Amino acid sequence: MVTLSTDVLVIGGGATGAGVTWDAALRGLDVILADRHDLAQGTSGRFHGLLHSGGRYAVKDPRAAEECIAENRILRRVAADCIDDTGGLFVTTPSDDPAYADRFIVGCRETGVDCEEISPAQALREEPRVEPRISRAFRVPDASIDVWKTVWALSHGAQQRGARILPYHEAVAIHRDGDEVTGARLRDARSGDEIEVRARVTVNATGAWAGRIADLAGIEGVRVLPGRGIMIAMNHRLVNTVINRCQMPTDGDIIVPIRTVSVIGTTDEHTDDPDDHTVLRDEVDAMLDDGEKLVPGFRQARALRVWTGVRPLFEDAKADETETRDVTRAHALLDHAERDGVRRFITITGGKLTTFRLMAEETVDAVCRNLGESRPCSTHAEPLPGSESGATYRLGERLARKEAKLVDEQIICECELVSRDRLEDTIARTRTCNLDDIRRQLRLGMGPCQGGFCIYRATGILHGLGGLSAAQADAALLDFLQERWKGDWPVLYGDQLRQARLDDWIFQGVLDVEHLPS
Amino acid sequence: MTRELRFDAVVIGAGTAGLVAGTRMAQQGARVCVLAKGIGSTHLSPATIDVLGYGPSRVDEPGPALEKLVLARHDHPYAQIGRQVVDDALRWFSGVVADGPLPGYGYVGGLERNLRLPTAIGVLRPSAMVPETMAAGDAPGLGRCCIVGTGSLRDFHPALCAANLRRAGIEARSVTIPLEFERADMNALGIARRFDDPTWRARFCAELSPLLGADDHVGLPAALGLRDPHGVRADLEHRLGRQVFEIPSLPPSVPGMRMFEILTSALRADRGRLILGAEVIAVERDEHRVNAVSTHAAGHDARYRADAFVLATGGFASGAIELDSRWVTHERVLGLPLHGVPGPDEPRFVPTYLSEQPIARVGVAVDTELRAQGTENVFVAGAALPGAIPWREGSGEGIALSSGYRVADLIASGSKTPAEAAA
Repeated sequence: MVTLSTDVLVIGGGATGAGVTWDAALRGLDVILADRHDLAQGTSGRFHGLLHSGGRYAVKDPRAAEECIAENRILRRVAADCIDDTGGLFVTTPSDDPAYADRFIVGCRETGVDCEEISPAQALREEPRVEPRISRAFRVPDASIDVWKTVWALSHGAQQRGARILPYHEAVAIHRDGDEVTGARLRDARSGDEIEVRARVTVNATGAWAGRIADLAGIEGVRVLPGRGIMIAMNHRLVNTVINRCQMPTDGDIIVPIRTVSVIGTTDEHTDDPDDHTVLRDEVDAMLDDGEKLVPGFRQARALRVWTGVRPLFEDAKADETETRDVTRAHALLDHAERDGVRRFITITGGKLTTFRLMAEETVDAVCRNLGESRPCSTHAEPLPGSESGATYRLGERLARKEAKLVDEQIICECELVSRDRLEDTIARTRTCNLDDIRRQLRLGMGPCQGGFCIYRATGILHGLGGLSAAQADAALLDFLQERWKGDWPVLYGDQLRQARLDDWIFQGVLDVEHLPS
Repeated sequence: MTRELRFDAVVIGAGTAGLVAGTRMAQQGARVCVLAKGIGSTHLSPATIDVLGYGPSRVDEPGPALEKLVLARHDHPYAQIGRQVVDDALRWFSGVVADGPLPGYGYVGGLERNLRLPTAIGVLRPSAMVPETMAAGDAPGLGRCCIVGTGSLRDFHPALCAANLRRAGIEARSVTIPLEFERADMNALGIARRFDDPTWRARFCAELSPLLGADDHVGLPAALGLRDPHGVRADLEHRLGRQVFEIPSLPPSVPGMRMFEILTSALRADRGRLILGAEVIAVERDEHRVNAVSTHAAGHDARYRADAFVLATGGFASGAIELDSRWVTHERVLGLPLHGVPGPDEPRFVPTYLSEQPIARVGVAVDTELRAQGTENVFVAGAALPGAIPWREGSGEGIALSSGYRVADLIASGSKTPAEAAA
């Protein structure tokens, strides 16, 4: 069995784990990052893309609002390329309590969230699709953030500084030597091989799954209640600004324009299983009705797909109840030396995407305390790879780049403008045999046709380049179609159903994939 | 200003079913107009006439399988059409192709035996009747074959096709020839235009010939010309010294465009009219009859009066049947009742992609003469009919062709409603 040694083993490759890896690598520590799946395949890859201004929490949770606005300002500098500076609006619709707006103003002032009231007429000039009967409107610095791009940038940056990234490596055992955690055994999900990692400190950054990893380390009472939320992507930008309802946070009250789509979210239902991705038709219906309250005619727009994410809501069974109520939405850093007398093991969970950098900073501070070393954090100042210029992402950049090379470059996915060169590079670099991994890297198949045209092409290229057998290539295609269907059918209606039928025609009619040799 | 026009029959929809119905009626002397929002399904279709490919296991002899289906599923379109009419329609269609504008081009096959032709991913797909340019791909006679592609055509991947054919027991290999085009992206239509050019064909064969070995068949993407596919295939076979066949892939479909060209030529030859870009926006009806439909088209609105109407607007894929955001279904052109709709609390879809989806068999409710429920003079053809799962059972073009043919004959023979017959 292969044995690797490192300063820090990070388990969990979401934004938090990747952020910890980047932070630790910047501080000169040797790091290994492992995830049971691909990076950002869990909660991080399953959110709406909102970089909070803090406005949402200004009344309900002032501390979260303060953290959000501080991190919002930092990420605009260091992760500029991942951020689309859409701005945000809070609007009082006829469905909202008109008294909330004044509390909102006070909340923003007290938490330092930039907030400017504008006339409803001005708001409607900027966002003409928004409900015309709004009575008040406030401008805040919300933005949208591409979480995949962020996680890749974090992991590439860390790799450039020597970190080792191990996707598809599941932690199957956490090793204890008395009161000290000494590393973990990882199983390669693709080959089945196991490797040993000896680490000076082990970080559990597995979010909603943190309780399971703590259990593996023999630590009790780390309870994370997965809160399941659904989000629906609409096939174009119904709005160009993040639109929030000006009310106490509830279901379906945000529309986030991100890339070429807009995402409405979300719900909050307790679930016992963080891998529960059930979407109920009633939830979809309610979400579409919520969309109507913000953008009349929402139901006539085309829905692309629906997905669920699970928030990690931390409940410390060792703390008393009143305390936990207050901290559930905030993040939780557990240094198990202090909490359980188990040294060199740290759990970070809870929190939200907007504050991942802060969570990583606090975690690596704790790592350094465990190591007895003093290494200052620099993630607030060091730009991520790709963000050096400080220019935020602009919708249309990709199109402009493609148009410059239109004649010379083959486009494999027209919806998301993925070129053959980029696809081939990604296959060669990641050595993946999974089209869903490629989707997360390149957005291949994520546009309006949901892979109808690009997936046969990508399968052919993957087969040719990736050294896959026909059986493996066929399986990759069929797996992708099933994975796609999972998020398609609960929101299938109107023009998107027409699209789905055309895709059926291609796959079931023209190619007849159902009868591929088995 | 609204113009008013009068016809014996108005067909709505210009896919295979609508064009067949219109052509067949025009041939019988009726004054016919085909109205369509746009070009129909032909440009998406591989243009093979699949009568019945799976039932659900693979069908080798579509004739007998069809007879069984007719007895087993009373709500299936074939139950209203019958084997004999399907057979007649196939013969009629191959006659239309033979008399058509593409010299020498023909369709081969029939109800006796399904051909099994490679798809672009290398599955052997059953079809009853196919363009002659595809026929040499029929699996039993395939021998040793070489699947040929070019890197510029992103819609065809010969190595994957050949590898899956080998898994199906065919001796297949592949080559990719590096042909330079003026742009990196070509689709089948662009390649087809090149194949129409004899000089380009000669160059293509010169590139390919040295790469061929013991292969006795050469499979190419379905792009062997738009103007003279028969001549192109003959020329390629002569130059390469091997049998050549086309393999359909992603839209746009070149064989489908040929089919559109053939059917519209036949329609016009008998003075039928085809008006594209004419979406039906209003309908005038009394209790049991549609009297006229109105269209909104470039330049002017028009009103079309007719004795009979054929609804050949397709199913969910075309948008003629809609599932709205509350998961309620509607027939959007004439507001006709639908059949096969799952109950209000029943699922519309199931979570497994390659399963039969509960909404798949939805269509316009018809009587045994394909007349829309509640009407005397509206006949339904093609994918608007209920009861079939065209892609999964491999029946789409077969239903389109035979139902279009059938409604034309019913209209021509002055089909009576039971009430009319009694009177």
